[in-house]
Order: sequence, then structure tokens, then C-alpha cells
Amino acid sequence: MKRFRSEYGDNPVHLVVGVVSLAVGVWALYKALGLLGIPINFVKWFAGGVVLHDLVFLPIYSAIGVLVAAAVTGGSHSRLRIAALNHLRVPALLSALALLVWFPLILRKAPGSFERLTGHANDFYLGRWLALCAVLFAGSAIAFLLRLRSLRRSAP
Amino acid sequence: MADARRPPTLPLPDAGPFRASFWRSPLRGPWLASFLSAALLPLIVVCAVTGLLSHAAYEPGLGNNALFDEGVDLYFFSWPVRPAWLYAVTQGLHIVTGLAAVPILLAKLWAVIPQLFERPAVRSIAHVVERLSLALLVGGSLFLFATGVLNIQLWYPFGFSFVPAHYYAAFVFMAALTFHIVSKVATARRAFRERGVLRPLRDDLEHTEPEPALEGLHTTAPVSAAPPTMSRRLLLGTVGAGSAGLALMGLGQVAGGPFRKLALLAPRGDGPGDGPNAFQVNKTFKSVGIPKADVGEGWRLLISSDGGLRRALSRADLLAMDQVTADLTIGCVEGWSTTQRWTGVPIAALARMAGADPGAEVEVRSLQPAGVLRRATLNAAQAGDPRSLLALKVNGADLSLDHGFPARLIVPALPGVHNTKWVGELAFGSPA
Repeated sequence: MKRFRSEYGDNPVHLVVGVVSLAVGVWALYKALGLLGIPINFVKWFAGGVVLHDLVFLPIYSAIGVLVAAAVTGGSHSRLRIAALNHLRVPALLSALALLVWFPLILRKAPGSFERLTGHANDFYLGRWLALCAVLFAGSAIAFLLRLRSLRRSAP
Repeated sequence: MADARRPPTLPLPDAGPFRASFWRSPLRGPWLASFLSAALLPLIVVCAVTGLLSHAAYEPGLGNNALFDEGVDLYFFSWPVRPAWLYAVTQGLHIVTGLAAVPILLAKLWAVIPQLFERPAVRSIAHVVERLSLALLVGGSLFLFATGVLNIQLWYPFGFSFVPAHYYAAFVFMAALTFHIVSKVATARRAFRERGVLRPLRDDLEHTEPEPALEGLHTTAPVSAAPPTMSRRLLLGTVGAGSAGLALMGLGQVAGGPFRKLALLAPRGDGPGDGPNAFQVNKTFKSVGIPKADVGEGWRLLISSDGGLRRALSRADLLAMDQVTADLTIGCVEGWSTTQRWTGVPIAALARMAGADPGAEVEVRSLQPAGVLRRATLNAAQAGDPRSLLALKVNGADLSLDHGFPARLIVPALPGVHNTKWVGELAFGSPA
């Protein structure tokens, strides 16, 4: 057992479950590729998702986060500056999440087919999203103003 | 054989993200990853189970219902007719849990991103197996969420058929997730034991410290953390708020009345106008390409039994038969639903007229010229249920063209799209 662990790096259950899991994964990928008319599109979306998220999307939003943080705090870590930063971050994250999930409707990626299929236009989503952003940012700003006095009092 | 644990080092640069000190967030670490996983797991389980149930609800084993060759039959039962809202609830849950999981998944991927770049890239054979599986886990999860979220918004930019792709990607994902849980559960339990399950949520910003590593384990705990600018509870509260917001938008599509307004950005929110036919349309009459003349005065419903044609009925003939009214729900695979009052002729009565047993399996065929979903086969319970109707009216008025005039199928708990519209033929028994 000790020998197995030192050769393999973990216990036998890990190996068995790992191999079975990979086998099921490969089988399912094989089935999917066999069934779909243009298998390369499936591969593009499957691998592309990882590349796009890990190497494009995440670095970009991290970089934006770093830049905004530097701009708002100016490198200072006073309670006031950090509170201001977070009162921007939270509504920004939630607005961005709504856009990320609903962008096909908000940006009208398929206006023709949406209207043809459902019988009504999808031209109101951009307005609704902007209204949601406005409410989130305004609510956060009001909360910040309400906290301002106690933040100032305890500011170092 | 001592080398087995020390495979040749890959020629990766020792700079930028490959250097552990590149990752500065004090919030990252095994507790955060474990907490997000614990929040994610129940949502994923419900989403996976309801997804498989949806596959079963389509009864792919019956008639021409199969949308693709499954390779494996994972349905062990006939889809029931009670409760009538069953499919609306299971599929509503599928979409709601899927939406709610999105921000938690994104946060989880953010929390563990340093491990993509960890060095050495390969520590042992076990580590190779884990990394291969993680590629399938991350790829599978992003694929499932992306295709699902786009599909419910009726945007299909992927260039492959959604149903088999989403179905098989789910198997890739579920297999990889099972292994991930087996290989990580000990780490999560240790993180919760050492840090407490909820204790780190008590700390405000002043008391937020960089997460310590778990001794002897390779974790995402930072080696050189920046000073914190956000507490863990603020981060997780924001993720939770995003998750709850998306869940409410999804729920708004399932709920009726004023709650429909909750579906602020969801595709099937507040209904289109007023009137007996003013409720959500899956596919309009215009979109399916049926010639207008086919649904005019000359329309006849053909009913046959075991391949032998028995009768051709006009709409007036059908209206002259005993009418049944039932409140039934259309539950769409896209996660929206709507309950209306339908009036029409029971399928069982039409079976008797065709010379078939009431409760004989029946293939319901639409006038739609194309598409695999232009026909649906009902199982015995569905065909025999007294509330399974060939509906002629809704809420007391004639069906509109968009809702299937001259006649449409409406069956309790049946997946929405199987409630075939613009019905042209009912073929009872085994068609010749």
C-alpha cells in the first residue's frame, strides 16, 4: 500500500475512480462527436470555453479589477478608500454578471429568430438591464453616503 | 523506481502566472474553494437529476420520439401524468438551479485559477490523472452552462445540435465531477475542520487574514498575499446575491400572476398582452411554414388505428363531440411554463372512434412540414388520461393560430413541445 502510494501518488481508489471517470468522459465525447454533423464545432466550443475563460476572460476582468482598485484607492488602504472601492465593485460585479448571462437578449444577438419564434420583439432588454445597473449603482452609492460619517469618524 | 514520483519537469517558464507569488489575493485558498464547492454541489446535483428526468420525460423509447441515438438508456420508467405540473417543476428547477450556479461556478474558477499554472506541472501519476480530469471538468461545465444559457435565449450560434451535445457533455461533466469529489473531499473536510465551515464569514475587513495553506497539501493559499480589500463575506455575499437574483429571474418564468415580473431579463417574462390567447408561444404559426390553406375550412383531422385509416373529422365534427375542460400546464424545456384552461375532445374518445383501445399508444402528427418535433408519441397512461385533450379552445375562446388552431394536443405533465400544435393526424397503435 505504501509502495503503491509512493509510485502512484495517491490511494488505489483514486486511481480506479479516476480511470473510470476518464473512460466515461472519453466515451461520451466519442458519442457526441459521432452524432453531431460538424464535430469540430463541438471541439471548438468545448476546448474554446476553457481557453476563453482561463486565458482571456479571467485575466481581463482581473486586470480591470486591479486598475479600478488602483484608481479608486490610489494605493492607500484607508477605510474610506476601500469602502468606496467596494461600493463600486459590488454593483459592477452584479451588473456584469447580468450582462454575461443575458447578453444574447440585451445585445439582441438573434432579433429576427427571437421575434419570429416567440411572436414578440426583444428590444426592451437593453433598457431593463441599464435600469438594473442604475438601481444597483444608485443603491450602493446611497448606502455609501449613509456609511460615510461613521467611516470618517473611524478613519485612521 | 523512485523516479516515478518525480517525472521529468516540463519546460515551463518560471515567471508571470507560473510563479506562485504572482497570485496575490488573500482570499484564495482551500477554505474558499471548498465553501464555493459546497454551495455549488446541491445546485449541480438538482440540475443534473432534472436534466436526466427531462430526457426521460421525452420518452425516447417510444415511436419516433428519440431525438438522437442515446447509446445508453437511462430511463427506467414511463413518464407519469400526475401531478399535471410535474414537468414544469422539474424543468423549471433545471433552469433555475443552472442559472443560480453560474456566479458560484465563476467564483470557484477564480478561486482555483492558480492551479492551472502550478509548478511543477506534474507531480505524480495521480496528479496527471487529476489534471486530465480537470480539463474535462472545467471544459464540460463551461460548455454546459454556455450552451444552456444561450439555448434558453433562442440564440444558437454553436453550429451543432443542442440536445445531443448538451446531453453527452453532461456525461463528461458528471463523470469528471464524481472523480473530483472523490479526490478533493478530504481536502475540503480538512479545510472545514481547521477553519470552520462558516467561521471565516464572521470576519469583517479588519479581521480578514490571508488564508493559510493546509500543511502537506498543494493548495491555492497565497504565498505572498496583498493586503485584503474585501472580506470573505462581502465576496461571498456578492456571489450569493448574483445567484439569488438569477434564480428569481428564472423563477419568474415558472410562476404565474405578478411574480412573472421577476423574470426581468429572462426570455419568457411577462405575457404578451391581454386576452384568452395572450400567453407565451414556443413557436409561432409563421415560423413553422404551414400553408394558411391547410388550417382553413378544408382542414380535417385524420384518425387511424394500426395503420388503417378510419375517419376524417372536421372541426365542426370535433366540436359536436362531448367536450372536456381541464386546467393544464405547458412546461417548456427552456424552463418557462404557463397554466391555461383548455377545452376539447379527450384523446381516449378519439381512440374509441378509430377502433383502438382507449389508452393505446398514439403518434400525434402536426401539419408542420419539417422538424423532428413535428410529431410525438404518447405512452399508454398519457393517451388514456381523461384530461389528455385534443384542444380546440383555450380560456373559452378558439385557439389562436400561434397556439395551434384548428386543434392542438395538451396532456398533463408532458414536455411542452410534445403538446403538438396544428394537429393533422392521430395514428393509434403501431403504425403500418
